[in-house]
Amino acid sequence: MSLFRTLRSIRRVGVREWWHQMQYIGDAKSGTFVGADQFGNRYFENVNQYEEVPGRHRWVDFAQHNYHASQVPPEWHSWLQHIRLNPPPQDPVMLNSSPPWKEPWVENLTGTRGAYKPYNTVPPKITAWEPKTTSRT
Amino acid sequence: MSFARPRVFVGLQPRLLAAPRTTAARSAILAHRLLSTSTRALAQHAQGPATSDSHDGLTSSLSDRSSRTHSSPAPKYDAHGNELNPYRDGPSSIDKAVHLFFFTEILRGMWIVLENFFRPPYTIMYPFEKGPLSPRFRGEHALRRYPSGEERCIACKLCEAICPAQAITIESEARLDGSRKTTKYDIDMTKCIYCGFCQEACPVDAIVETQNQEFSTETREELLYNKEKLLANGDRAEAEIAANLHSDHVYR
Ligand code: SF4
Ligand code: SF4
Repeated sequence: MSLFRTLRSIRRVGVREWWHQMQYIGDAKSGTFVGADQFGNRYFENVNQYEEVPGRHRWVDFAQHNYHASQVPPEWHSWLQHIRLNPPPQDPVMLNSSPPWKEPWVENLTGTRGAYKPYNTVPPKITAWEPKTTSRT
Repeated sequence: MSFARPRVFVGLQPRLLAAPRTTAARSAILAHRLLSTSTRALAQHAQGPATSDSHDGLTSSLSDRSSRTHSSPAPKYDAHGNELNPYRDGPSSIDKAVHLFFFTEILRGMWIVLENFFRPPYTIMYPFEKGPLSPRFRGEHALRRYPSGEERCIACKLCEAICPAQAITIESEARLDGSRKTTKYDIDMTKCIYCGFCQEACPVDAIVETQNQEFSTETREELLYNKEKLLANGDRAEAEIAANLHSDHVYR
């Protein structure tokens, strides 16, 4: 029952964390802390089917106030969207396939000054007419 | 008007008969009410004969239902040869009238609504929780690199040729070391239909579609991806791309 579930979650996570959850997730949830990514987002899991509806058993608590789905880095995104079973620090495949030249994840920066602007990667095929005049003597 | 009414009432009767209210009330009390979280074991049929072919305890009762052809039952007679009323064991007309006029079915429906009020909500609270996604999901594009850091794309233009939306534009040149590389690799993400043909066509797994679906932009211009952007996507998401390809390689 959701009232009982709410009270149980409050008892587990504490009133302060519950208030934080109500401001963001909007639901009282309690589960095991699985890990945190480089941005400080915390990831939780509760696989007890009597406590969390299956499908809602993995969740993220964003570090930023202006949260956005793209703030989840790809490794954790895989875990959060139930693509991979294990969280990335314990996932051997994920660890093995991380190359040394991997770049840090950047969230979707649209609407900010960091937004991607397309540009041409080859010299332009059409050049504007530049009038050439011989200077008068 | 007043003659039509009893006929309407008669027409409603089978519906009332079909709702066995005592059993419904009993099962409502007995059944595990946390329907959303009930296991498969709890979802078993409580009644009905277990057929021989049900290995897992689940019965469809389809044959049971299909075999039950509703021809009118044979009339029954008592000891004196008088025909008995076939409805004598059913609910009385007062019973039925009570259900009709006191809206008990509506109240039962409202009770289910009330029950859901006390159950955990089903709604997935995006973006905190997300629904399951396939490792084959086709989202934002990325160009991959070899583990050495060399870019994979050999500018064969197969992806450009197969793209049904003609969203890809490629120009290539020989590099100083003699290898052919693209100088221009543009994907118009507004034209792309996310069919995944490009990643299927690519002989070196260079162009892939990542699982990222949260790349919406405020301007259309930002969706005209060039090579740098695609390579940057690949550099950031390489671990996820490689893990997805790894989990899918047994089916390819
Ligand atoms: S996903 Fe389909 S439409 Fe989009 S670029 Fe690839 S081939 Fe073209
Ligand atoms: S991405 Fe693949 S298919 Fe497209 S040009 Fe490069 S190597 Fe060829």
